[in-house]
Amino acid sequence: MTTKTMDIRDGYAEKYGFHDAEQHVFKSRRGLDPEIVAQISDMKGEPKWMRDYRLKALEIFEKKPMPTWGGKLSDIDFQNIFYYVKPTSEEAKSWDDVPADMKRTFDKLGIPEAEQKFLSGVGAQYDSEVVYHKIKESLEKQGVIFLSCDQALKEHEELFKKYFGTVVPSTDNKFAALNSAVWSGGSFIYVPKGVQVEVPLQAYFRINTKDMGQFERTLIIVDEGAWVHYVEGCTAPIYASDSLHSAVVEIIVKPNARCRYTTIQNWSNNVYNLVTKRAVAYRDATMEWVDGNLGSKLTMKYPSVYLVEPGAKAEILSIAFAGKGQHQDAGGKVVHAAPNTSSKIVSKSISKDGGRAGYRGLVKVAKGAVDCRSNVNCDALILDEESRSDTYPYMEIEEDRVTIGHEATVSKIGDEQLFYLQSRGIGKEEAAAMIVSGFIEPIVKELPMEYAVEMNRLIQLQMEGSVG
Amino acid sequence: MTTLHTEVGFDVAWAARAEARATEGREPAWALERRRTAAALMKNLSFPSREDELWRRTDFRTLEAELPALDPFAAPGRARNLDDLPAPVLERLGAETGPVALVVQRDSEVVLEQTHPELERQGVIVCSLDRALREHEGKLREKFGALLHPDFDWYTAFATATHRGGAFVYLPDGVEAKLPIRLFQWLDGAGKLASPRTVVILGRGARATVIEELLSETGERTSFHLGGTEVFLGDESRLVFGTLQDWGRNVYHYSNQRAQVGRGAELQWIQTVLGARMTKTNSYFDLAGPGAQAFVHGFMFGDQSQHFHLHTLQRHLVDHTTSDLLIKGALKDRARSIYQGLIQVSEGAQRTDAYQANRNLLLSSKARADSIPGLEILANDVRCTHGATIGQVDEEQMFYLMARGLTRLQSQRLIVEGFFVPVLDRIPLEGVRDQLRQVIERKIG
Repeated sequence: MTTKTMDIRDGYAEKYGFHDAEQHVFKSRRGLDPEIVAQISDMKGEPKWMRDYRLKALEIFEKKPMPTWGGKLSDIDFQNIFYYVKPTSEEAKSWDDVPADMKRTFDKLGIPEAEQKFLSGVGAQYDSEVVYHKIKESLEKQGVIFLSCDQALKEHEELFKKYFGTVVPSTDNKFAALNSAVWSGGSFIYVPKGVQVEVPLQAYFRINTKDMGQFERTLIIVDEGAWVHYVEGCTAPIYASDSLHSAVVEIIVKPNARCRYTTIQNWSNNVYNLVTKRAVAYRDATMEWVDGNLGSKLTMKYPSVYLVEPGAKAEILSIAFAGKGQHQDAGGKVVHAAPNTSSKIVSKSISKDGGRAGYRGLVKVAKGAVDCRSNVNCDALILDEESRSDTYPYMEIEEDRVTIGHEATVSKIGDEQLFYLQSRGIGKEEAAAMIVSGFIEPIVKELPMEYAVEMNRLIQLQMEGSVG
Repeated sequence: MTTLHTEVGFDVAWAARAEARATEGREPAWALERRRTAAALMKNLSFPSREDELWRRTDFRTLEAELPALDPFAAPGRARNLDDLPAPVLERLGAETGPVALVVQRDSEVVLEQTHPELERQGVIVCSLDRALREHEGKLREKFGALLHPDFDWYTAFATATHRGGAFVYLPDGVEAKLPIRLFQWLDGAGKLASPRTVVILGRGARATVIEELLSETGERTSFHLGGTEVFLGDESRLVFGTLQDWGRNVYHYSNQRAQVGRGAELQWIQTVLGARMTKTNSYFDLAGPGAQAFVHGFMFGDQSQHFHLHTLQRHLVDHTTSDLLIKGALKDRARSIYQGLIQVSEGAQRTDAYQANRNLLLSSKARADSIPGLEILANDVRCTHGATIGQVDEEQMFYLMARGLTRLQSQRLIVEGFFVPVLDRIPLEGVRDQLRQVIERKIG
């Protein structure tokens, strides 16, 4: 038994835990009411329909009860949050135009480096606003749009209005309603017919201000036969009080198109991460969610896919790692609403140092959706006796010509596996880390290489001092 | 739907009448007090909310609207002997016309209770719970209500306040009951409400087989059977407990079953669900002593517009316990089934080995099956696995059988019959097995 009492989040403080002095150009007062919502809309100079949409959403938010399942939400004080913090007056197109403090932040996080090396485009959001956005010229020429959602509303209002709120209506759930009322920032992507975006587009989300709520809104439309891979990463400084991150992501995958959405969520462990992510996939389209949850205090996030036309496919890969004081209520949801659709969900969760990780999911086959196939596989590793693992899969099947399977296993690191590796001269701790890496390997191998490396490094960091 | 019953008051009036009846029946003071406590709880509870996770998928509102019109005090009078029992019950008893340990309830009353001379010699008690409360209160006091609490929901509070009938089975330490103990619940006609409570206690090292059968003919109006069962397995004991349900189609059935398995004890639990308009059962298995084992096998077979909702909970409370569960479901026509299962491993319950499987066969495009297997694991040195499948009859199996000259229909029959065999084989009474097989065949049609 090692005696090192390393926190699972060790390393976070040095790497991401710093924060800049607050130098926003505007900060709403604490709390939430119609006045604040109207103020946000006015600051952004939005069209009237969006202002009305927000105010209506606020009413819905106030009426909806808090979810009674999942994690503990009762500590969230909606009136103590800053709903809108505008860090800078302009969105920068060139890295040089980004204010020095923020530049330093993103430099530390490796954003410009990432952009140069392997990305088609980069967006960086700092508190409520996207401060930097850049896309490769060649893609721009092909008609690919990659903007902040606010900018897209200004520049492509018709396109934006056509899809906004169609996948996740503001009535969907309490936190979707909240986002619909106070959303700010996030990415808007449109990939025209047949365009293949070979390398990923990336967005980076950062909460800097204390008691801040980040409510970005992402809308991705992948037109017929097109392909895009979008990657997002998130961090925040460590404050004593909690922050709220409540995003809504809507994705439309048109016939024969393919979209992959990868998240590496590494919020500091005082962030409530309550996110609604949903995609609609049309004929022969493919939607893939790769969802890695390592950070946050509580994450409740179940990326979902509605397969609405024949031949559509969904794949959800989920990794959840819960350390001390963390609760990862992750999972996925697939609704088979058309015949001949297929889905696959693979979930790997790890809990350690009293953390709680789990899978919550739904596979639904609607009437008429014959010849569907779905397979769900959940594995969990519990690394010590204080930790907890939950699996709550729901299957609702209304058709007989289907093949639906679910399997889940919860276990610890096998003594035999440890013994085998140790007998080959590998230290116990390293052996355990290797086993955990092997455990999540089926998902990590789906990540772009740089992310796979980062993921493995994060896991190793969290595994240090973990074996008893 | 969250109407408070105090507005209607039927439940309060019934609880008062049930208490008066129990007082007359010389129920001990503590048991009467428990009824009063439950009645007070009941007053403050509403019908279960559709928001409640256990009630989201089962809608009892039709029943709830009809409840006040039901008769909870129907007492058809005692049977002199087996000959006075309803024919279907006799049919189930089959060849066993001689002395058999038996408790038969008809509507709200136990009409026949008898034991076998050999069991009597061994000190085994088989009688109605009402009699047990009078004559064996010392054996019941600590156990009755220890696992099934009246605050669970309105129905449980109501049943605890108004219970009548049910059976008491008691085996002293070290006693092995070689003969199966048979319990029957029968509802005459329609418009009835029965809320029996059954308690089974096995002493240390005792062994027994208890088979409970729930039967009725289909009547025109709604009847409601509200059951409550508590089963206690002492250390090193072994119990086979079967609940075989084949109610008429006018019956709504809601039952809470609890079992506590002691150190080194083994429970074999069998549950078959064939009848009723709607069935909802919550079966909880507490593995309460190291080395405790629970094996649960069940099936449901629904046709027409039957609705079945089975909820099971495998609770591993201490270290070194095992549970293994298999629930199978086949659905025809517009039938609907919900299997909602959970394995819970408590903190410190190391070396738990838990398994949960749910297999569903959909035989019609209008049928619907929901499967919700769950795991909540708070210990790390465990092996917990669950699996669930939902599909139709395997075409390859069909092809194989048809290639051997069977028609499509015959092949399907054979496959569906075969689907239930692993559960049927667990029932230790051959006659009962055969009769269940016939019911299944009739249902396949």
